[in-house]
Amino acid sequence: MRSEAGIAIASPAGADHPLTIDGVGGFRVEHPSAGPEVAEILADSAARGLAVAPVGGGTTLGLGNLPERLDCVVSTARLNGVLAYEPADLTLSVGAGAYFSDVQSLLSEHGQELPLDVAIPEKATIGGLIATGLAGPRRLGSGTLRDLLIGIAVAHPSGTVTKAGGMVVKNVTGFDLPRLYHGSMGTLGIIVSANFKILPAARFESSVLATFPTLDGALEAAMKVRASRLQPLALEVTGEGANGPWLVAVRLAGREQSVNLLAAEARTFLGGDAETRSGVKSQAWWKDYTRKQAVDHGATDVLLRCTSRPSATATMTHMAMTTIAQHGELIRCYVSPGLGAVLIRVDLGISGGVEVLASLRDDLLCRADRVTVLAAPSPWKNGLDVWGPPPPGFDVMQSLKEDFDPHRVLNPGRFAGFL
Amino acid sequence: MARRSASLIEDLIRVVGRDAVYDSPGDLLVYEYDGSVDGAVDTASPAAVVLPRTTEQVAAVVRLASTHNLPVVARGAGTGLSGGAVAQRGGIIIALTRMDRILEIDYADRTALVEPGVINLELSEATLPGGAFFAPDPSSQKACTIGGNVAENSGGPHCLKYGVTTNHVLGLEVVLPSGEVVWTGGRAEGGAGYDLTAALVGSEGMLGIVTKALVRLTPAPEAILVMLAAFGDIDAASHAVTAIIRAGIVPAALEMMDNLTIQAVEPAYHAGYPLDAGAVLLIEMDGLSEDVTETGAEIELICRQHGARSIRAATELVERELLWKGRKMALAAMGRLSPNYYLHDTVVPRSKLPATLRHVGEVARDHNLRIANVFHAGDGNLHPLMLFDRRRAGDVERVLEASHALLHYCVEIGGALSGEHGIGTEKRDYLTWVYSADDLAAMAGVKNSFDPAGCFNPEKLFPRGYMCGEVRALRAQAMAQKHGIYAL
Repeated sequence: MRSEAGIAIASPAGADHPLTIDGVGGFRVEHPSAGPEVAEILADSAARGLAVAPVGGGTTLGLGNLPERLDCVVSTARLNGVLAYEPADLTLSVGAGAYFSDVQSLLSEHGQELPLDVAIPEKATIGGLIATGLAGPRRLGSGTLRDLLIGIAVAHPSGTVTKAGGMVVKNVTGFDLPRLYHGSMGTLGIIVSANFKILPAARFESSVLATFPTLDGALEAAMKVRASRLQPLALEVTGEGANGPWLVAVRLAGREQSVNLLAAEARTFLGGDAETRSGVKSQAWWKDYTRKQAVDHGATDVLLRCTSRPSATATMTHMAMTTIAQHGELIRCYVSPGLGAVLIRVDLGISGGVEVLASLRDDLLCRADRVTVLAAPSPWKNGLDVWGPPPPGFDVMQSLKEDFDPHRVLNPGRFAGFL
Repeated sequence: MARRSASLIEDLIRVVGRDAVYDSPGDLLVYEYDGSVDGAVDTASPAAVVLPRTTEQVAAVVRLASTHNLPVVARGAGTGLSGGAVAQRGGIIIALTRMDRILEIDYADRTALVEPGVINLELSEATLPGGAFFAPDPSSQKACTIGGNVAENSGGPHCLKYGVTTNHVLGLEVVLPSGEVVWTGGRAEGGAGYDLTAALVGSEGMLGIVTKALVRLTPAPEAILVMLAAFGDIDAASHAVTAIIRAGIVPAALEMMDNLTIQAVEPAYHAGYPLDAGAVLLIEMDGLSEDVTETGAEIELICRQHGARSIRAATELVERELLWKGRKMALAAMGRLSPNYYLHDTVVPRSKLPATLRHVGEVARDHNLRIANVFHAGDGNLHPLMLFDRRRAGDVERVLEASHALLHYCVEIGGALSGEHGIGTEKRDYLTWVYSADDLAAMAGVKNSFDPAGCFNPEKLFPRGYMCGEVRALRAQAMAQKHGIYAL
């Protein structure tokens, strides 16, 4: 049974819901309730030559290359418990299937947080967030889950569940496997649970927003903020369509008096028309903004990410805009000048396809250090490595894949270099 | 023990030049040991030591070692405490100390590109005029190298706020055991594939040799405040620590020193540590001036609520450095108390700190040892310092027994075997306390992927005998039997 190209969100355990990955559906969906069960399913799949995709909340199912083959889905929905949370220790151990917003709610009761911007927090799971390595604009000030991981438990096709790291914030006991699994797209094992160091929640926050008629003007203001003492939690420039207007957003967090002082400074960089939002209004704005960066696509549009060194952001953005105009129409652009990243939604129209997409990606690669196709209509990914050219050290990566998953059970073909 | 052939030295000289090869017994003697405790870690002699100046030379030596069937051990300043730079199976030590150039400092992007032999503190001294510094600051930072920091995922007092070395490495140029040179990571985020940089940091020289590191620089804070709070006893001080952390304050550093330590450092440095204090907390806050003052007031209140007898604060550089001197140079002052010491490294959850410190006291009494405490209280990273005299019969044995007991306790209450020093040879046989056979197999998988021949820094990390040929064959057999139904 094949479904139309598109993404369907996986439902919580027990409900009947069509689940498709890159246009392919009709999978058997398993709902294991504990790590050893996951491992058993994987070992069984290995024995039978089957391919498995781990699925959490299904919010980024379209990320990655077309699967080489896929027979079964393992849902982490039932691995959603809080295993250990000691507010006094600022550490948390939680099941991979827990929804991010549920985790945040728990932590906020104690004035703590897992500092991460998530596009669809009520559906994205901890395991999925680790495996995809995706993080929104506040990674500028808070880092990513890579910086917060202190331990992990993973189920393997060998039939075992292994753990690495622990429950303390400093640990040099063996190779850093937790960070190796981060961003590995479920191709080395299925994350069963993870341990994090958590942080005190910011006491207060304010965001300063200003609109500019030109991209140049917006980027200039943003780069001034970047070079200042402000050290914002997030710094974004965004616009719809090549002709703007362009919005600059600066997010500041800390003690209320300090934030108010810094916000005033931000307003001097952004100009007299700057608007300031504080507290929950600020949080809401960023929640809404991050949601727009969800890894999905429409019938004829794609989502790309270009990165370079941060000081080259303006140049990269301008060149990307020109390149995009040659291939399609810009829908929306999200620039992170502090990070050297540009997220772009482009409409390639009905004449879009593999060649057009590949051509756009290759042109962009001349103007950015890295280009990733985060989302695209599945037929357009045919034969394309969305992650870019094979990365350096690919031999070692292949060895790792062969060691952890010799029978290519886990998400075969979906990761870089079709690993 | 891997012996050297007559042609080895000639081959090495051809690659790096005569002045970069040490092979006389006198020269090799200095490279038999590192900062680890003789007795806890055995010393061993390499067949030769080379000091290359370029990446190409490092790669050539690695290939040469392979041709001669010799293991390779990378070495920085040799300050490591877990035996990581000791050539347990002989072979060639590649000392990276002559690759000591800072290649590039980029203040706009706040990155620095350095060779592995650059000394940690010298990097920060070079970048500070531009308003940035390299945050990981192990106590040995005047001597230790960036390459070593990468190998051990070094910490230091400021990692409480800023994170450890792995949080500050953007990319690495490494020579793999195959002799291939590879760049992992880079200046731009979003690198494709597995995070090899993450695997390499903290890999104790077992997966690759770093020949260049692209590191993140941290903006220098606008204001810094250092406080010294004196308490009547360790218990009160440790409760103050947990209270500060629980209050949601993240100081830049939060260190503790006990009375025994003060007895050594105060006469040595006159930093102003009260000699009658049971313990002192050295707390640093940094950030905007207003934040620092306010947070300082909050911390002072918490300390007083937990019985602080006196609190001194310093904002000026000279005063701050003096307060820090007592902490940073604590080990150097220990000679006043004892001819030998064994510095331990373990981590416990912060809420368990008071109980753990009480236990350290018990271990000291039970084993008739003096144990000083000078450590990173803020992240629960203990450094019990066992004082002994090697010349006195029975001292070494008592220290090793006490060490075993102490480590076991820390692991039992949910701690880790090592916070910053690494496993090396020192704690390899304790690894089974925290990892199962399956857990170790996953680590072995990583090792085999980078180093199938097992030639980089053998006899480290994995328990004795774990990686040797017979054991591997047995494990492979067991795995095949387990999965027999789909054996290839």
